[in-house]
Amino acid sequence: MGSAIEAKTHKNMPGADKEADLTERIEAFLADLKRGGCGTGPIRGSGETARETTALLRKVTAQARWSSAGDLMEIIRKEGRRMTAAQPSETTVGNMVLRVLKIIREEYARSRGSSEETDQQESLHKLLTSGGLSEENFRQHFVHLKANVIEAINELLTELEGTTDNIAMQALEHIHSNEVIMTVGRSRTVEAFLKDAARKRKFHVIVAECAPFCQGHEMATNLSKASIETTVIADAAIFAVMSRVNKVIIGTQTVLANGGLRAVNGTHTVALAARHHSTPLIVCAPMFKLSPQFPNEEDTFHKFVSPHEVLPFTEGEILSKVNVHCPVFDYVPPELITLFISNIGGNAPSYIYRLMSELYHPEDHDL
Amino acid sequence: MSSRGGKQKKGNVTSEQEEEEQPLQAVLVADSFNRRFFPISKDQPRALLPLGNVAMIDYTLEFLTSTGVQETFVFCCWMSNKIKDHLLKSKWCRPTSPNVVHIITSDLYRSLGDVLRDVDAKNLVRNDFILVYGDVVSNIDVSQALQEHRHRRKVDKNISVMTMVFKESSPGHKTRCEEDDVIVAMDSKSKRVLHYQKTQGLKKLQFPMNIFQHGSDEFEIRHDLLDCHISICSPQVAELFTDNFDYQTRNDFVRGILVNEEILGNQIHLYVTQDGYGARVSNLQMYDSVSLDMVRRWVYPLTPEANFTDQQGQGCTHSRHNVYRGAEVSLGHGSQMEENVLIGRDTSIGANCHISNSVIGNNCTIGDNVVLDRAHMWNNVHVSSNVEIHQSVVCDGAVVKEAVRLNKQCVLAYNVVIGPNLSLPEGTVVSMHHPEEEEEDDDDEFLSDDQEVGHSKDKTRQKAFNPAEVGPEGKGYIWKASMNDTEDEELAQCLWGLVLNPDPESDSESEASEESQDRSRSVSPEIDDVNAFQLEVLGTLQRGLEENIVCDNLVLEINSLKYAYNITLKEVMQILTRVVLEYPFQQQGTQLTTLQYTGSLLPLLKTWSPVFKNYIKRAQDHLDCLSAVEELFLEQDTHQTAMVKVLMKMYQLEILEEEAILKWFSTGATNDKSRQLRKNQGVRLGQICVWGKPSQNVKGYQFGHCGSLILLLQKETTLLIFSDGVQRKQTPCSQCHKKESCGMV
Repeated sequence: MGSAIEAKTHKNMPGADKEADLTERIEAFLADLKRGGCGTGPIRGSGETARETTALLRKVTAQARWSSAGDLMEIIRKEGRRMTAAQPSETTVGNMVLRVLKIIREEYARSRGSSEETDQQESLHKLLTSGGLSEENFRQHFVHLKANVIEAINELLTELEGTTDNIAMQALEHIHSNEVIMTVGRSRTVEAFLKDAARKRKFHVIVAECAPFCQGHEMATNLSKASIETTVIADAAIFAVMSRVNKVIIGTQTVLANGGLRAVNGTHTVALAARHHSTPLIVCAPMFKLSPQFPNEEDTFHKFVSPHEVLPFTEGEILSKVNVHCPVFDYVPPELITLFISNIGGNAPSYIYRLMSELYHPEDHDL
Repeated sequence: MSSRGGKQKKGNVTSEQEEEEQPLQAVLVADSFNRRFFPISKDQPRALLPLGNVAMIDYTLEFLTSTGVQETFVFCCWMSNKIKDHLLKSKWCRPTSPNVVHIITSDLYRSLGDVLRDVDAKNLVRNDFILVYGDVVSNIDVSQALQEHRHRRKVDKNISVMTMVFKESSPGHKTRCEEDDVIVAMDSKSKRVLHYQKTQGLKKLQFPMNIFQHGSDEFEIRHDLLDCHISICSPQVAELFTDNFDYQTRNDFVRGILVNEEILGNQIHLYVTQDGYGARVSNLQMYDSVSLDMVRRWVYPLTPEANFTDQQGQGCTHSRHNVYRGAEVSLGHGSQMEENVLIGRDTSIGANCHISNSVIGNNCTIGDNVVLDRAHMWNNVHVSSNVEIHQSVVCDGAVVKEAVRLNKQCVLAYNVVIGPNLSLPEGTVVSMHHPEEEEEDDDDEFLSDDQEVGHSKDKTRQKAFNPAEVGPEGKGYIWKASMNDTEDEELAQCLWGLVLNPDPESDSESEASEESQDRSRSVSPEIDDVNAFQLEVLGTLQRGLEENIVCDNLVLEINSLKYAYNITLKEVMQILTRVVLEYPFQQQGTQLTTLQYTGSLLPLLKTWSPVFKNYIKRAQDHLDCLSAVEELFLEQDTHQTAMVKVLMKMYQLEILEEEAILKWFSTGATNDKSRQLRKNQGVRLGQICVWGKPSQNVKGYQFGHCGSLILLLQKETTLLIFSDGVQRKQTPCSQCHKKESCGMV
């Protein structure tokens, strides 16, 4: 809203229109986020959300009024806070904000001539001497900073465009002929991964339907269209079928900072069954799903939607006597996961902390 | 404004219909036009009452915005200033809001009808619009319904004027309230509403037969529907309200359209949704249910923690068992929030409290050892220790002192003080306004705020509080049955909308409404109208004859007259028949002989036969026409012999069908005279069957002694038609007991 008021006061400036347009875009995006995910999970994939967020942040960078990197970061942080508050379960939005902040830091450092790499090195000495001074440093003005930042955000966008393909390209290394693969629910990334493997290899996919939303049905339909041998099973049959499975490949909504997952309901069951049978569990997760969040942050971690799918509203009298809950996510602890496949290659859960520090600046972890 | 531009672009991408380009509009009526929430709504309009700590109108606006409404007209009447202030401060009036809200206030609105007439007068809507009340809580995606509505309107040219949105929910559902219970008869294929009635606790329901006689062959009678009070209306709806100035509510409108469907040719459709949530908070019982549903997340994504109103500091966190906590909430040692609890910001709760299924507003203080179950506390409420509250509403600023017990369905209105050491019996309503004062300004209910407040202050000073009722330190007046005032008794019941035994008022109302429905169905509207119409038709026909007007044009003129005088189709036909048959008398005086009469009438019949054919189509029409003929000849008994010729002519001209004539003949005669008439005609009627056009079934006819007509059918059986209306397929002798004089052997 601040910028809207600003826009009013600067009516005769040429930038006023642009800013009004910008705030409008942001509001529309926020409203979309708030209404997104009615029941059956997000209508658009998180990849799309990530791209939209980044594109919007690029617009903010291009059109908001700022004179130094510090100002810009403040603006991005402010908008970022609102965006994450609008839909706390959609962590990709927050991740993208952090990525952009990191980009600004890097570009600023490059403009100043110092390399950001030295900043990265954490040492006890650094911890003691740093603090406070970095913010002041961002006050310097550089002419080309804006162009550079936008250029870097564009690169990020290109990276986002290619994530699914990058992951799918690795499929042949992991899926072998005549294997039985289990997956749960529907994930666009896993779908692309399996389809890619199916071009060269023949294998069998078992899809757990993932009640109550049953996205598994859609997944199975899509897979069988690509002439992959597919079987749909009820969630209750996961354990029974697991003994025949060679590999479990799942997608996730978020990769948490400890290497755990926040994934669709039923994933924990699959992971436990896989552990029992010592079946490898592979998680296909693009880097933008990596979140600096830990699983103990109770209030934003869960997402409960309308209980309609569990016990329909049409049921009548019974509804006044029972409490019905419909959670959307499961937490899968990192020790149940064998491997993460991201767009930059495969990683073990224990390596996540390292990726985290490469992707995000430690000072940005909470907006 | 440019936000709309953005949205439009999106609409164009999805579908390239022209209509889509116009912004979707909505009419939001922020007034209930009833007093179900009295005395609470005396201080605050219903639309602003908090539900889950958010004003109800915000839910409605959020619902509209999320369905893609881009322009909303909010109509306020009662306490319009407050609503206006609220809206101006809310996110809806920010320049970036995708939904442009226009606030229209007037003290003159007394009903929904007035509002819609104003919509029409100001020409606000240009296209289909959504009509809702300011107390509707919903997350239904009506775009599907909207699409169906538009499709219907496109296919058959504006016949469908309204699509009502219903939510499927079985009887016995908590969110269905007794008084809003509806029963709907619908055409299952076209989703057309054939009959719409509030059940109002009635055990027996009547459906008019005619609704099942036309249209498709599949009908549904549904009682598992919850009226969401969301309707998609065509612009004609506003016009229809203007035309029929007696329409007050949507109920009137729906009933009016259904009853007069034949005349106006308008239809109402319904859209039944299974998912999504939609309910109107029409009384406190509904308030209780909807509030609980909201806390239980049925209205997702409109949940308390979503903070969809975008207000600073309104956010709260959601944890297991649907417990929501606002900012700065403090909870004493040993207190439990069991399930479905929403606590607003800056509220502090003492030790050892048990709270379940409750909503507590902002800035409340609650003492120790308090038990709250289904309590709805608004803002700034103070509750001392050892208090028990069950299923009650406690409004802003109320104070509940030590050891007070509120039993079920109590209401503490604004700023009331209760206690200490008191137990309020079930259904007690306490308000700072005196009930009698209420009666006095019954008439100027729609006065502005300030005056009202001034009034009430004067009066509160005059009357002392009764310590026995509200406790030694209490402040407030009890509104209840003990006031020896029947109206107040009903009021108290209405507030919660009793579940088990519907109050007598609503019962009588339903009877009355049924009667009125009956009347409009069978009895002609206004005798003057009918007479005037008859004269007009006569004039038209006369002119038609003189100026040689084509029959089609005559039909057009008669149709327009029909609308002008509000005449049903059935009456049109009867009057037309009568006018035509009386025409010779009209022109040449009543002293005609039968021969002259038939001589002049038969050519007329031939000329006007297309007009008749236009109106006489269904079997029922034939009978109606025949009864009109019969009526006329009963009056003109000297010319009874002419009747058969008339009938034969009409039969030959294919105006009337043979079966219809036989059926008429066989159906019960209502009195002696008509029985006599049939007896006389019986002889000749047989002639029709054989002379007129040889029928395939009948090879001959005979007459029984008692006036019965005996048709000899092809297949060896005989069909006996008695003038008393009985048809028998047996030999006459056994029936009439007069073997020797019977025509049959």
